[in-house]
Amino acid sequence: MAEAFPVKPKLRPTSSKLTPTPEAKYWRSFKIPKDIETTPSKSFTFPINSIAFSPVAPHDFVATHSASVSIFSGKTLEPKPTISSFSDTAAAVSFRCDGKLLAAGDLTGTVHVFDANSRSHLRRLKGHAAAVRSVSYPRAADKLHLFSGGDDSVVKYWDVTTEKCVFNLLGHKDYVRCGDASPISDEMFVSGSYDHRVRVWDVRVSNVSSVMELNHEKPVESVLYLPSGGLIATAGGNFVKIWDVIGGGKLLYSMESHIKTVTALCMGKVARGSGEEAEENRILSVALDGYMKVFDYAKLKITHSLRFPEPLLSVGFSPDCSTRVIGTSKGNLYIGRRKAKVESEEVVGGMQWKIVEDDPGRKVLRPSYFKYFQRGQNLKPSEGDYLIKRRKKVKMAEFDKLLKKFRHREALVAALNRRNPESVVAVMEELVARKKLMKCVSNLDTEELALLLAFLQKYSTMPRYAGLLTRLANKVVELRAEDIKSSDQLRSYIRNLKRDVEEEIRIQQSLLEIQGIISPMLRIAARS
Amino acid sequence: MFTGGKSFVSLPPAFSNDAKRLLVCTGNTVSIFSTSTGLQTCELEGHEAQVTSVIVVPATNPTSKVLCYCWTSSLDGKIRYWDFAAPELMKTIDIRFRIHSMVIPSLLHPRNDSTGKLPDLYAYISTEDVKQEGKPSSFGIQKCNLTKSRIVGGVTLAETRKPGHVTISPSGKYIGTCEKRKLRIWEIPAKDSEHVGYKKVRLHHTRSITTMAFHPTERVVAAGDVTGRILLWRGVGRETFSNSKSSNGRMNTDGEDRPGVRDTDDADSCTTWHWHSSEVNVLFFSSDGAYLYSGGKEGVLVVWQLDTGKKKFLPRIGSPLLYFINSPDPTLSSISCADNQIQLLRMPSMEILRSISGIKLPSSHMDMYEGFGSVVVFNPTAGLIAVPAENYRVQFYSLFDDREISQVQICERNHQPGDEITVKVNLVALSRDGSTMCTVETRLPEEGIGSLVTLKFWVCGSQKKQVSLSTVIYEPHRDAEISCIAFRPTGNMAVSSSHGGDFKVWVHRHELTPKDETVQRSGWKCHAVGSYKKKPMSTAAFSSDGSVLAVAADKVITLWDPDRNTLLAVIGDSLEPITNLTFIGKSEYLVSASASRGSKSSNPQLTVWSMSKLCVAWSYRLDIEAITCSMDDSTFAVLARSKPNGSADESSQHAEDMILLFNAEKAVPLSVWFVSKAQGGGLSFVSSDEDKVSGTKATDEVLAYINGAREYVLLNPHSEQDISRQRGFTNLDDTDTHGYASVYGELPEFSLKADQTAFPSMPSGKTWKGIFSGPSHALPPLPKLCSDFLESLLERRSGVVE
Repeated sequence: MAEAFPVKPKLRPTSSKLTPTPEAKYWRSFKIPKDIETTPSKSFTFPINSIAFSPVAPHDFVATHSASVSIFSGKTLEPKPTISSFSDTAAAVSFRCDGKLLAAGDLTGTVHVFDANSRSHLRRLKGHAAAVRSVSYPRAADKLHLFSGGDDSVVKYWDVTTEKCVFNLLGHKDYVRCGDASPISDEMFVSGSYDHRVRVWDVRVSNVSSVMELNHEKPVESVLYLPSGGLIATAGGNFVKIWDVIGGGKLLYSMESHIKTVTALCMGKVARGSGEEAEENRILSVALDGYMKVFDYAKLKITHSLRFPEPLLSVGFSPDCSTRVIGTSKGNLYIGRRKAKVESEEVVGGMQWKIVEDDPGRKVLRPSYFKYFQRGQNLKPSEGDYLIKRRKKVKMAEFDKLLKKFRHREALVAALNRRNPESVVAVMEELVARKKLMKCVSNLDTEELALLLAFLQKYSTMPRYAGLLTRLANKVVELRAEDIKSSDQLRSYIRNLKRDVEEEIRIQQSLLEIQGIISPMLRIAARS
Repeated sequence: MFTGGKSFVSLPPAFSNDAKRLLVCTGNTVSIFSTSTGLQTCELEGHEAQVTSVIVVPATNPTSKVLCYCWTSSLDGKIRYWDFAAPELMKTIDIRFRIHSMVIPSLLHPRNDSTGKLPDLYAYISTEDVKQEGKPSSFGIQKCNLTKSRIVGGVTLAETRKPGHVTISPSGKYIGTCEKRKLRIWEIPAKDSEHVGYKKVRLHHTRSITTMAFHPTERVVAAGDVTGRILLWRGVGRETFSNSKSSNGRMNTDGEDRPGVRDTDDADSCTTWHWHSSEVNVLFFSSDGAYLYSGGKEGVLVVWQLDTGKKKFLPRIGSPLLYFINSPDPTLSSISCADNQIQLLRMPSMEILRSISGIKLPSSHMDMYEGFGSVVVFNPTAGLIAVPAENYRVQFYSLFDDREISQVQICERNHQPGDEITVKVNLVALSRDGSTMCTVETRLPEEGIGSLVTLKFWVCGSQKKQVSLSTVIYEPHRDAEISCIAFRPTGNMAVSSSHGGDFKVWVHRHELTPKDETVQRSGWKCHAVGSYKKKPMSTAAFSSDGSVLAVAADKVITLWDPDRNTLLAVIGDSLEPITNLTFIGKSEYLVSASASRGSKSSNPQLTVWSMSKLCVAWSYRLDIEAITCSMDDSTFAVLARSKPNGSADESSQHAEDMILLFNAEKAVPLSVWFVSKAQGGGLSFVSSDEDKVSGTKATDEVLAYINGAREYVLLNPHSEQDISRQRGFTNLDDTDTHGYASVYGELPEFSLKADQTAFPSMPSGKTWKGIFSGPSHALPPLPKLCSDFLESLLERRSGVVE
């Protein structure tokens, strides 16, 4: 039994791009929201050194650039007024665990503490002799202390209320450029320095030297406590290392897929479906090579990588998995936002109000109502249901239907009207197989001939179609010379066609010349 | 001798009385197929020439429906009577004329015998009396007394110049035949005896009539002509036939109210219907007489409502229709198609239930393009052949089981039977392990534009059931045609040679994507391109270990290292272009055949080259059609065509061509077979399993030869002993559905396992305990059991003696 096959264009060589994995789809779903795409305030002229997200909803975020700190609304992504009470470039920023306070270090060596809402300047912590490039609040519950690390190779533990330095933690021999607090303990934190060392500190046991020392073998640009509190990721040089702190500082893995220096790390989450269990943690790393890589440290595999046109300096990911921010050395801020699933979920003043959409007392549908007749149409089958597949309908384009009825000329015109060169060529090839193409060409009226000539002019020098179309163009001119002569419009098409063909001939000639130059060389190379 | 690949559609098939079996004339035998499974159940063997008709004795009452008797006639001049349930020959009548067609009218109308004695049974046969050489043989329709086994002397209904097909009306009252532009119809008297007069009517038409049909109840005759017209005569023979029955003596002789009827023809009216664009092959009235089925070259079955002339269609059958037969079961009928396929139709809805397909026949169009290899391809390890068919498909056919395995759509195009061929599958190649298939399809250009050669690589799954497309390559050798594709025996490499003067080596690659190791892409890529002095490359072959690639460049053979693509040596200078090239097994010899295609070559040659000395070992002057070599030892076989001028004496017409078996070291052939129709034939060694073919134990390779008409024979190359065969016929599955199951289908959990255990219907080595085991209704027929039983006893005793 013969079936009806639609006309298909020739296959094209597929590139090595595969269908995106769900993970890649997830990371690509962070798109620049349309409404803020055009706002110029997203780009600053100075490098964005640091980005931090507020730990509480709606997860505002801050970015430091030049001598100011910009706060962005986590809800609308609109910039709030900036804090610019710095005397030098702000270098590091951190939110307190309740999101109410904000600490920022600058290059003069001062750590400033602000109210995140009112932006009022609350404290100045002075003590560092050189620039402060690392500030972090404890992440668990402690609201009174913070750590900072400076270019004077000292890590300081501050009591914020009294503006006093509690401990000077010594041990690093070069600039301390990064630090992170443990997510489970208020007393543990980690710092990384340009002396290639990463030190883990515990303010309970000792105030003299570090609990643990890890050798990263390159100046450390960023450190990150992983959510379990037992693992640390360090970045420096063009690699990221994962360490097991509980297991005595054992190196677990070294991820070496960046080409240039990795500048920042942050935690990312992949939300699969809904609920906490469905979330999987990833490490996001950005580097000067312009790549953001997503690393799955459970499988020790890179799951996604994304390229940006500029060197990247800082990265941030909102705890609710909705926003991803990347800062570049040229001052651009790449904000990616995923479409929230439940739009109605709103957070007002820390309390959550859910607007319940389907009210329980729903009306029972009656046949008097239009929707009664549409009920169940969008019903999805549940797992145990037995599915009876409807036979798949073969999709027939208009030219396919016409070809099936042997209306060849109309099929050709229908294909030409669709302006898809592949399908036009496919229809032409089918007509050749039926030995009807010449007949079609000679039957076209003037308007349709103009359509064909326009198509030929456009595509007959294209390498993929040239084999068929140049010969066809020749035939068309031969067959319809009389009609072309009598119409101005057609003559103009022919003029254009002639021009294109002449240009193509020039190209071919120069290619031949090049081939003439190369082929003796190849022969000599083959002989030796 | 094991033969197969016969045509199922040379003659109309016949249904058994219970419509569970279909009797199909296949060459010298009648094959019986089960209509519920579409598989062959048994075979009636006995005729020595082609069977020309098969007539099932119809059931006269419901109880005799289970009776399975049939009459067959054959070109060997014998009429045989069979019980096809057993199957068993009951009676043979030798009439010494070649029989082209036979009808038995008296079977159709029940005979009421007052005397208690059955009247004699008469058959009307279209015979050919072969006279002396040089004189044309005479044809005629004669009468034969089947009861007394002799021809009724003096009764010759018609003398014709060509063998005519005799058509019988469903009531058995009339028989007719069409000859050129006229129909001849005879009335068969209700009480047939040896001496009885016949009334006849002639109907004339202006075109050659191709087929005719009788209305089941009325005196209506339909005929189709070569232009596609259907003529419908009503009231045929009102004058002639009704004169005897004077009760309705309405004389209607006025010429003017007989529309359409030619001058003196005896009919009331003649209507013409014209839908078919070419020759009508099928005409058949439905059993109630309300509809007329017609079909022709378009592959569309048209159902005409007889009273109104309204039409209904069953389109896209895909091949020209040849016969339409309905069965005693009103829901089942069959169409025979020209592509050697019988379609079983569910009747009122006209949907195709299943099809019984034989080997695809070579299409007449394919001969037009000489040099295109429309030859079948062998898969030696699995015993399969791949046959390119007209409808852009490749059929896999099992040589040992003699049935189709599967079909693969090579090119997604709609096939209209009867269209001019512009796209065709030229070449098919199978790798030695059968895991990869390679096809080449060519689209012919229209006025020099739009030609396209496409090379496709396919991956075959297990058992050839599923074949999936792996790689498509457009214009692999620019616009030059591909002459040959050869696979490397060790795998993962293929070579395609073209007439355009180059060859390409293709390799199979798996690509692991860098990011995700789970997704694997595999495909064929061009590995190397080679050419030798721009000469057209006609054929290529790999050595059995895959280390040497031999490519024939016009008249010389070039040897290459396929991995590094370096030319190793050039040997030979034959007189004609080389057409065939094969390395002989694991020996150091290469055999080549050269001939110029198209024009008859003057210097064809078969040459064996020694690879160690790079020189000719020995050669013959033979026109070679095909070469094959055994996989293990150094024997090879060639299919040689004798020269056309050598066939001066006509007696040797059938032994024109021969198969020669050689050992590469000696120039003396080991054995010779004479065959016919070698043009376009193929030859291959095929490894056989011992359980399938009980040949000699010395070798497990048999030689398969397929001729131009796609009939094949398996020969035993090493001894005179024929390959006897035990064919695995499936038992007729009697699990018919009635009642609940016929309406709602099978109950899912209810399995009839006990019934499905195939009960062997052939002699088996089981002891008598095994023979009678199983439920009594599933036992084979008693005569069969008896011989088995006795045989088993004999075996046991011989065992005791040893």
